[in-house]
Amino acid sequence: MTELKFVFGDPRVCSGCMTCSNTCSMFYYKVISPTRARNRVLRIEPALDFPLFCRNCEDAPCIKACPEQALMRTSKGVVIINNKKCVGHGECVKACPYYAIRIHPDTGKAFKCIQCGQCVERCPADAIWMTTESELAEKDQDGSMMDLYEQQKEEIYDKEDSI
Amino acid sequence: MIHGVGGHILWVDLTKGSIEKRPLDEDMIKEYLLGAGYLSRILFDHIPKGIDPLSEKNVLGMATGLLTGSMFPQASRHVIAGLSPLTDVWGESHAAGFWGAELKFAGYDAIVFTGASKNPVYLNIKDEDVQLLDAESAGVWGKDVFETDDILKAKHGKRIRTLSIGQAGENRVRFAAVMNDRDRASARSGLGAVMGAKRLKAVSVRGTGKLDVADPKNYLKQIDVFHKRMMANPFTPGRIKYGTTSLLELMQHIGRLPSYNMKQGVFDGFEKISGDAINQNYFVKARADFSCLQRCGRYTAVRTGPYAFEGGAPEFETQSSMGSRCGNDNLESVLFGHHLANQYGIDTISLGATISWAMEAWDEGLLTAEDTGGIDLSWGNHESMINLTRMIALREGFGDVLAEGSARAAQKIGRGTEKFVMTVKKQEIAGQEPRAQKSMGLAAVTSARGADHLYSFPVLDEAGFDEDIKERFGEQYLPEMADRLNPKYKGIMVKECEDFMVMVESVGLCKYGTQIPPEFYYDDVALALKIHNGLDLTGKDLQVIGERIVNLNRLFNARVGITRKDDCLPDRLTKVKAPLGPSAGEVVELDMMLDEYYTTRGWDLKTGLPLKETLKRLGLSRDA
Repeated sequence: MTELKFVFGDPRVCSGCMTCSNTCSMFYYKVISPTRARNRVLRIEPALDFPLFCRNCEDAPCIKACPEQALMRTSKGVVIINNKKCVGHGECVKACPYYAIRIHPDTGKAFKCIQCGQCVERCPADAIWMTTESELAEKDQDGSMMDLYEQQKEEIYDKEDSI
Repeated sequence: MIHGVGGHILWVDLTKGSIEKRPLDEDMIKEYLLGAGYLSRILFDHIPKGIDPLSEKNVLGMATGLLTGSMFPQASRHVIAGLSPLTDVWGESHAAGFWGAELKFAGYDAIVFTGASKNPVYLNIKDEDVQLLDAESAGVWGKDVFETDDILKAKHGKRIRTLSIGQAGENRVRFAAVMNDRDRASARSGLGAVMGAKRLKAVSVRGTGKLDVADPKNYLKQIDVFHKRMMANPFTPGRIKYGTTSLLELMQHIGRLPSYNMKQGVFDGFEKISGDAINQNYFVKARADFSCLQRCGRYTAVRTGPYAFEGGAPEFETQSSMGSRCGNDNLESVLFGHHLANQYGIDTISLGATISWAMEAWDEGLLTAEDTGGIDLSWGNHESMINLTRMIALREGFGDVLAEGSARAAQKIGRGTEKFVMTVKKQEIAGQEPRAQKSMGLAAVTSARGADHLYSFPVLDEAGFDEDIKERFGEQYLPEMADRLNPKYKGIMVKECEDFMVMVESVGLCKYGTQIPPEFYYDDVALALKIHNGLDLTGKDLQVIGERIVNLNRLFNARVGITRKDDCLPDRLTKVKAPLGPSAGEVVELDMMLDEYYTTRGWDLKTGLPLKETLKRLGLSRDA
């Protein structure tokens, strides 16, 4: 199997403009609404802007958590949600360590980034990339970028207050 | 039905403590758009003649534009307006950030505050839930802008966006700013003092709604075209690298950098406070506002010493006002001064300009230690400049005198200090030494809000925009119009730029991208209003709307007694030749430019007020 892909970004480079989120909500839901984007962008002082996406975990706890078996991984390695099966009780939201799955305010069903890359194309700061774990390790050799995610994890993955 | 907007306006009566939600007036949008235009209309109709701007009779408006919250490049802006306590005429100020877009996601396009609260309050908006809450028990009254943001986030959730005043607004400093998203400032016109007088500390917003655009099918495709144009513009990389800080070097080279109050347009220490100096030692990151592709926002840090801080700062205006204008080449103090001004909520332009007025009066021996309470005001004394910033915000000692602005302070002190006041209609002239760029001198006097470079922002003669001049005006105006030292055709240019700029402020776009660089023009905005809002307006319609707004602002000012006699510059700029630098020997030929301007506007040459037929053409009358 080829390595799993996901979108990831550098909070030191991201300018916080929300173009990725706006692209996403417009592309999928025909509206502009960060609450309806499949990713999130959080500004954290000092000077960090976190563009946050599904990390496409190897073990995908979200898939296991769903009692309706509404989540599955496609042959291309993307975790998707079957809207016909999803009833929106949010077990996947609870299981995701990155708060990368949320319940859509209009449909009441779970939604998440499916690595389509529409946002990556449009990022004006080139702050986000479609990448893999090994590629990311290459890019962040001194680990300084991942350290920032680690240091801010309580805030960026806080499910109560992060949308 | 208009798409892509919140759909409602909040009317908040602070005296009664009541909140009313009114639907957007779509007929009014067709005549005035939203943002600055919509507020111009509402405030003309609701602010009575002859009132004290700091009384409860003043009305304070906050509005987003039609495109605020859209994906158009730099669609991040909102406007604050009211009767200005600094100028006593039309007051208006704008900022970018995230607050405006958030307000729209909550379902509102504007807020109008009438009356005044007895006790300090703030407005908290969570979608449909809108409440006036006690600012004292929340612990924000008396706090600075950053503390207020921290406290309100702890109380209402980290994802709220905050607009607030700092201590300067509470203390009714006449050039207090209204701040949002921590370091974004609606700084000019002193509207922060109006919030303070109304005892309104903040407006915190959380909006989880959506903007449904008019043409979802073609939206992204068209936005992609706008984005590609913005990113391909040759100005964009420089804007990302420097923000506006590299303007300092450019202005030095054309002799337009206000120095030593506004005695001259060149400053020996310019390299020490330049964009490159900032980038070398203090720059942390370029930050954007909502939908902003150019990210001119600077985030800087001074790591050690008395001026240590980290935060959003600075931009060109502060480099000139707290730097060259005060004869100050200590960059750390300029950066820190900007940070302090954000923290207390003060306009850095009027702040630096007022201190530099005092420094010149000191230098001339007209102000002494007796007046200043022992503070030394020698040129370049950055410690005094920083101390005074705090003292002005808190109205302590000599700071209380300066908190009135340079025009009122000079009137109080007298002794000939008046001739060093560099204001128009009591507002301090911004960072454009007009003897080195004549259009800026004209723009400062015709601007509805008193001295100001942004109401018209006539930059087409600044840096070789001959092609754009040809396109917008016609070849017959070249080369004179493009020559910054030639007063010819500047009346025509300033008029055209004003119409365009007030329109831009009414749709919530940035002047960067529309005026400098002049990438997007009327037809582009018309197309954006079509796909986003579903409005069928042509570029020509938009120009007429811009013209209508400018005339309405003029009528507002006419009502408080403004005529041609008030459209004047300090004698230094019209009668004293620029002493040094590339523009040495120049003065501003104001009268000749004004004649051309009034004629082009269809205003009376003697009174400077709109002629009857001009108003009729625009659907206005003297009583509007």
